Amino acid sequence: MPVPADRHFYIDPARCIGCNACVQACSECDTHKGVSMIQLDFVDRARSTQTVPVVCMHCDQPTCAEVCPADAIKRTEDGVVQTARKARCIACNNCVLACPFGVPKMHDEANLMMKCDMCYDRTSQGLKPMCASVCPSQALFFGTREEIEALRPASRPVDGFRFGAQVVTTRVRMLVPKSFSEPLLAVTAPFESAPEARTASASFDPLLANLYQESES
Amino acid sequence: MPTRTTTTREAAGPIAWGVATTAALGVLIVAGSRNLAHFDAALVAYTFSVLFATFGLTYRYAMWLKRPPTDFYWRRGWQVFFQRGRRLRHVGGLASHALSDIVLNRFIWARGRLRGLTHLLILWGCGLAVAITFPLVFGWLAFESEHGEPTIYRVVVFGFPTFAFPSDSLVAFILFHGLVWASFLVIAGVMLAMRRRMREEGAAALQSFAEDFLPLVLLFAVSLTGLMLTASYTWMHGYAYDFLAILHAVTVIFTFLWLPFGKFFHIFQRPAQIAVRFYKEVGRDSEPERCARCGHGFTSRMHAEDLIEVERRLGFDYRIDRGAVGGPGATDHYQRICPPCRRALVAAAQGAAWRGVRGGVLVAPGAAPAHVNPGLGEGPLGRADAENFHG
Amino acid sequence: MADPLRSAPRLDGAHPVRSTSLDPDGGDPFGPRPAWSAGVRLDTGVEPDRVVDTHCCFCGQQCGIRLKVKDEQVVGFEPRYDFPFNRGMLCPKGIKRYLQGAHPDRLLTALERDESAPGGFRPVAYERAIERTAAEIRRIQEAHGRDAMAVLSGASLTTEKAYLMGKFAHMALATSNIDYNGRLCMVSAGAGNTKAFGIDRAANPWSDILGAELIWISGANVAECAPITTDYVWQARERGAKVIVVDPRLTPIARTCDLFLPIRPGTDVALFNGVLHLMIENGQVDRDFVERSTVGFDEVARHVAEWTPAKTARTTGIAEAAIRKAADWWGKAKTSFLMHARGIEHSSHGVQNVLGAINIVLASGRIGREFCGYATITGQGNGQGGREHGQKCDQLPGGRKLADPEARAYVAGVWKIAPDELPPPGVDAYEIFRKIERGEIKGLLSLCFNPVVSLPDSDYVRAMLGRLDFYVAIDFFLNETARHADLVLPGSLHEEDEGTVTTAEGRVIKINKAVECPGEARQDWRIVQDLARAIGRERGFTFAGPREIFEELRVASKGGVADYSGISWEKVERQQGVFWPCPADDHTGTPRLFEPGSWNVVARGNGPFYFADGKARFNVATYSPPTEVPDTEYPLILTSGRLISQFLSGTQTRRIGPLLDMDPEPFIELHPHLAEHLGIGDGVWATAETRRGRLTLRARVVATIRPDTIFVPYHWPGRKSVNRLTIAAQDPISKIPEFKACAVRLRAATADEAREAVAIATPSRRPPLPTTGG
Repeated sequence: MPVPADRHFYIDPARCIGCNACVQACSECDTHKGVSMIQLDFVDRARSTQTVPVVCMHCDQPTCAEVCPADAIKRTEDGVVQTARKARCIACNNCVLACPFGVPKMHDEANLMMKCDMCYDRTSQGLKPMCASVCPSQALFFGTREEIEALRPASRPVDGFRFGAQVVTTRVRMLVPKSFSEPLLAVTAPFESAPEARTASASFDPLLANLYQESES
Repeated sequence: MPTRTTTTREAAGPIAWGVATTAALGVLIVAGSRNLAHFDAALVAYTFSVLFATFGLTYRYAMWLKRPPTDFYWRRGWQVFFQRGRRLRHVGGLASHALSDIVLNRFIWARGRLRGLTHLLILWGCGLAVAITFPLVFGWLAFESEHGEPTIYRVVVFGFPTFAFPSDSLVAFILFHGLVWASFLVIAGVMLAMRRRMREEGAAALQSFAEDFLPLVLLFAVSLTGLMLTASYTWMHGYAYDFLAILHAVTVIFTFLWLPFGKFFHIFQRPAQIAVRFYKEVGRDSEPERCARCGHGFTSRMHAEDLIEVERRLGFDYRIDRGAVGGPGATDHYQRICPPCRRALVAAAQGAAWRGVRGGVLVAPGAAPAHVNPGLGEGPLGRADAENFHG
Repeated sequence: MADPLRSAPRLDGAHPVRSTSLDPDGGDPFGPRPAWSAGVRLDTGVEPDRVVDTHCCFCGQQCGIRLKVKDEQVVGFEPRYDFPFNRGMLCPKGIKRYLQGAHPDRLLTALERDESAPGGFRPVAYERAIERTAAEIRRIQEAHGRDAMAVLSGASLTTEKAYLMGKFAHMALATSNIDYNGRLCMVSAGAGNTKAFGIDRAANPWSDILGAELIWISGANVAECAPITTDYVWQARERGAKVIVVDPRLTPIARTCDLFLPIRPGTDVALFNGVLHLMIENGQVDRDFVERSTVGFDEVARHVAEWTPAKTARTTGIAEAAIRKAADWWGKAKTSFLMHARGIEHSSHGVQNVLGAINIVLASGRIGREFCGYATITGQGNGQGGREHGQKCDQLPGGRKLADPEARAYVAGVWKIAPDELPPPGVDAYEIFRKIERGEIKGLLSLCFNPVVSLPDSDYVRAMLGRLDFYVAIDFFLNETARHADLVLPGSLHEEDEGTVTTAEGRVIKINKAVECPGEARQDWRIVQDLARAIGRERGFTFAGPREIFEELRVASKGGVADYSGISWEKVERQQGVFWPCPADDHTGTPRLFEPGSWNVVARGNGPFYFADGKARFNVATYSPPTEVPDTEYPLILTSGRLISQFLSGTQTRRIGPLLDMDPEPFIELHPHLAEHLGIGDGVWATAETRRGRLTLRARVVATIRPDTIFVPYHWPGRKSVNRLTIAAQDPISKIPEFKACAVRLRAATADEAREAVAIATPSRRPPLPTTGG
């Protein structure tokens, strides 16, 4: 059974609280029980508690599959990019290094790339993926367009990302504010602008800014 | 974006290769059977199916090698293998990797103990069967009774007589029932594989009939019909032997013809894994690629450069125009950013979109992300994973 | 240690043997040994025998969860999408909680102290253990009086068990001395709520967060301690809500809030007073509401007159502009929800902090209406139900007071005893230890409480346990306190019993039994009843099961503030929970308190609040500094708290491998400015010292904490326990200990200290970083 066409994965990394629920639930998924496919990183723990949960974005034309020498990565009719076929994967690491979102994991002992397959065992049965079911902040959400519109009146999904000159469109959508007018997210923008613009955001420190200092009074 | 349709022009090379290898095998058959002197005419259908499979496999292999990523691994694989100063080490490595990966399937045991056992049973069952039948079919191997001594058999290999043994000896029993032993191994392996595919939810979600069940059905059919042949002439005075022989031949021939198309092709792809090992070993000892954002090494420069080239040939353009930053023409490539920084960049881009709409703390660029959960299984899956994601 | 990569997981989950002992008592048969999924729990081909709808065993949110059972073992979970509070959401603790069952550390028999046996205990027949316990109780009570026997209970028990524990102490043991671990958790909020509203319960269901215009979160690390609440906050933000977070640390929920107030620990009441000062100054007090529904505003207004923004800023350590902005937002909001938790309550003036918070809620008039709410976020699983029905030292079922003659008469009637057979009110959990020191208490029974880890100044607590004549503990694992017991009785895990609990929202929900107790272990209520029988006071302790206990509890709570009389298990299942008070069979419960025109048992129609006149009380909330303030000798503030991966004293969560992986060790969190000043680098060993003790842990240098404050999570025992440093100062009203602020000094560890710390450190299982690239 395919994943229903009206169900989509929506991600809002800004909501993430780094709780690890997605990671822990992921390893309960039947297709890779015992190991987790989610990448959950502290973006810069020394400065912030910001975390980013990464599931496979399920690209319409997946770079990982294209660069696979063994033809081990398949995209199904319903738009899900499957994890590496075990019989074919030769653990060359191409997919890991080519994925623009940094998704695949390499299990070197088993000579096998492993990645999120949108809980195909669940989604193809009409269930929600494990991570999106449990996510306490609902940074990861799985459902219909109508549901997301009702729950997130301030948000709008985008499914296009720009990495340098490359535009990648995905089955998984990312939520941006309604007021955000760009058609896609320019991921590499910080590299294309002057360094001053890049560091401007770094000085924003609400802790120190709101801290009472003796010199103030 | 690339779209691949095979043109006649593209197919010309692989077709030529296919013809060449098939012809070569034909020559070997004729020569090895001493101008067909040892050739068993009853097996001619088998011979032709093997010849056809050879063509198909060669064609597919050659087409496969034409894919940019395969092509670069193919060439790089040989290049690093013969790299000056490492050749001796690589010859030793070849032996140990072949033993570990191909003969013992150690990586499959790491995927699961039952999986490892399953695959090893099937691998060794099929391997044994091939080792017995192919030489017989090609006439490379023959058993001849000694002149005047009908109870003594002599083994003839490529026309050269070798050792002899009595027909009622244990050696004879083991040798002449080699295919029976092979079928036992294969049937046990197929049963285990079937069991897994029938009961496991995870397997059920991803498997398909043509890709996953048909190969098992074929192996089972070949083994079973072969056993029935043995049963027929051993205990049933050859009852329905001719019918069974045809049935067996049909299953075997279909399996051969299926080789280039389905899951069985992995048998011929798998040795590429050894090339990958050499490529990684050489990469580990060479200049690292350092992330353009956080500065951590995350792969070899060689691999990064190769991938940039592969992506270019595939029609991807991940070049970053840094004209505004580093002067006109300064171009960088997204491939030079490590996977964790890519994840951080995506999050930062999304967070930046929300700036001013709701509160939030943005993060200085350039810092190294870190796994929230360092636990094995939840975090990195091993050394390679740790290297990819620098912890 | 061995190369951690050697123990990489297999995909079939056959984990190679990992370091089995994470404890200095290496090789201990009682652990703690972390468990990972293995065998049937990793087999994806296993069809569960049954799935059981129940709830999580950890925090006060009590998320719905569905447990999968195979061969009398909980083998996994499935999200419970139908439960309205969490709709499938779970935090990592709930997800991996199934690993606490069929655990190698599980107590399967009663144990008797025997120093020569491995781990210090040898198995003993259950009946023999009950007999010996009964004999000791009789001996102690005959020799030293009934109050010489004390009971320590817990708020992770079902309400039925909590009720039974109170009844057992007050009726069977007839001792005054029972208290529970909610003393470390809920009591400041409870006392404050009772003073201001006459009732101790979250005023609103969480659904009222969704439409609030402004959400004020004080001293609550929502993301880590009440993770599901995060979604409610985010949903409100999608509808335009602003969020103010007050915390000394920039917690994950604070990271994206609209206004972050990095408060100096222990000064919350000053902030609330300052905000009220500005509300009055700006004319933003809801005079109509104050006039109509409250008393005492004028006195409070006079009191906060001194709390000018400048003084508030100096006291709280928050910039004046930020305080003004917060007060402005709070003053202008049409709807709001104020939440607080242990951050303001764990203080020697915790009740004052809570009253300060309630004052700004009452002054705003935003309570008792849709999207206008106030709540403390209950910490423990049954923090709410566990504090209502008589296991608190001064309490009888239904939220009644043990000192109230009318309440005594009513409950005695239900229990069929004379009112004067009930003992007078007893003392709080910490005072129980002081009574041990004074020789007034000789015997102790504990259940669901691990004071050696969870109480402040834990070296003292440990010493006092040694002075007892007899100590019996009931537990499923041998926790750090039970290690000091003479006898241990094997109790039940959450999934091995049924009953009700009351969530942070005040919603009574049903816990269902998934599996049977293993070995000789049995449900705690059976053990307590066996004890009652063995000491010859069986009358009133012959319940056939939790349902019968609940039926008696309904009667016992009838007419009290916490009235459960209209709640039946069937109604709970049918309605997906019932909010108390629910005084009649045809009553559907009370999700939102204090609605205009609502009736309650105290006001009887005079108004929505639980006082005779139906009006809420403003209370003067007085600021006083924490008991210990930084000085030249101890110049910093130490605060403690929780991590998402662990729960309370860690008895369960330190035995669950995937959770321990997340945070294998406690740490000292400090700001880079402070780190630079002290010359302490990230990841190096640092030593924190207070007047009570010293602790060496790795430093975590992060810019998300006030530069004058250090933070240590409290889930670890022994030499990793921050409670060896915390102060045993208590709030005079609620008796809650001051976990959140004491004076401390910090320095890089000496070589000896670092060596000692390394020796007891959990081996890191993080793969080594590559020194060169790929």
